Amino acid sequence: MKVGHKIKKPEKLNLVPILDSVFIFIFFLLMSAQFVDVYEIGSSVPMMKEAKNEKQEKDPLNLTLEVSKTQIVVKTGLHSPRSRTFASEQRKEIREYLTELKRQHPKENTMILKADPKISFQNLVTVIDSTQKEKGSRDELFSQIVFDNNGVK
Amino acid sequence: MKKRFARRKNREAVDVDITSLLDILTILLVFLLKSYNASDLKLDLQKNLEMADSDARAMTRYAPVVQVNKEAKVFLNNKEIGRLPASGEMPVLTEALKKAKVGIELDNKKKPANQQTNTDLVNLVFDKEMDYAIVQRVMHDSALAGYSQFKFIVKGNY
Repeated sequence: MKVGHKIKKPEKLNLVPILDSVFIFIFFLLMSAQFVDVYEIGSSVPMMKEAKNEKQEKDPLNLTLEVSKTQIVVKTGLHSPRSRTFASEQRKEIREYLTELKRQHPKENTMILKADPKISFQNLVTVIDSTQKEKGSRDELFSQIVFDNNGVK
Repeated sequence: MKKRFARRKNREAVDVDITSLLDILTILLVFLLKSYNASDLKLDLQKNLEMADSDARAMTRYAPVVQVNKEAKVFLNNKEIGRLPASGEMPVLTEALKKAKVGIELDNKKKPANQQTNTDLVNLVFDKEMDYAIVQRVMHDSALAGYSQFKFIVKGNY
C-alpha cells in the first residue's frame, strides 16, 4: 500500500534582502574607494623655547642626520659630538645603529634632518623610511622629524 | 478563451540561477573591502606628478593639500596657483595658504571641539624627482603662512 504523504520540497532561501544590502554596501565602497594607497610622513617646523638653566647630567642625544647623494652622516651628542658615516645604500645598518641609539636613549624621539638641496624627494623619503621602525615592529624609533633649514653645505 | 487561460496557469515561474552573480559580488566585495581607506583626505593627483614610494603606514588626515608637479607648478586644494619662481619665496602660495587657514578656522567655529580640523597641519605632495631645495622652499612658505606641521603624502609600497 502506498502512503499518501507527498515528499516535501526543500524551501528556497529568500536571498533578496541580503542581495539588496550587499548592493548598497558595494556602492558605498565604490564611492569611497581610493585605488592608490596614500600615507603620510610627519615633520614639523623647528620651534624655539627657553630652556631652564639646569645642568644636565647626561649629554643630550641631539641626533642629526646629514643626508647627501652618496652618504648619510649620523651625528650624536652635544658636549662630546660623535659621528658615524654610512653609504646611502646601507639602510639596514642605519636602522640597526638608530635602534641601538634608541635603546640607550629611550626618551628621545626627535631627529634633525639636514639634507643636500640637490637630493631628490624620493631619496629623502627612502632615508626617512630607514630611520623609522621596521615593518611589523611595535617600537618607535625617532618619529619626530625636524628639518634643518641650513641643509648640508 | 477558457482554453488560453488554462494554458497560462500551467506555466511555472522561471528559476534564475544567481550563483555566479553572487560569486562575482562576493569577490567585488572582498576587493573593495581590502582597498577601503578610512582616511578623510581625498586626494586628486595632478598631472605630471608621481608620488614617492615609502614604507610609511600612517593614515592621512584632512588638511589643505599643496601639490608640486614635475614642471614646478603649484596647486593648492587642486587649484593651480602658479609656478614656483627660480629662487626665493612664493608670496602667492603663502597668501593662498593663509586664506585656506582662515577658512578652516571659520569652519571650525561651527563644529564641536572633537570634530575640528587641525589648523597647523598642511599636506605636501611632491613629485618624487623633485629636488629637496624646492621641498624646503614650499615648507618655508607654508611656515610663513602659519603652518607648523608638515605631512608628506607618499605612496605605500608593498
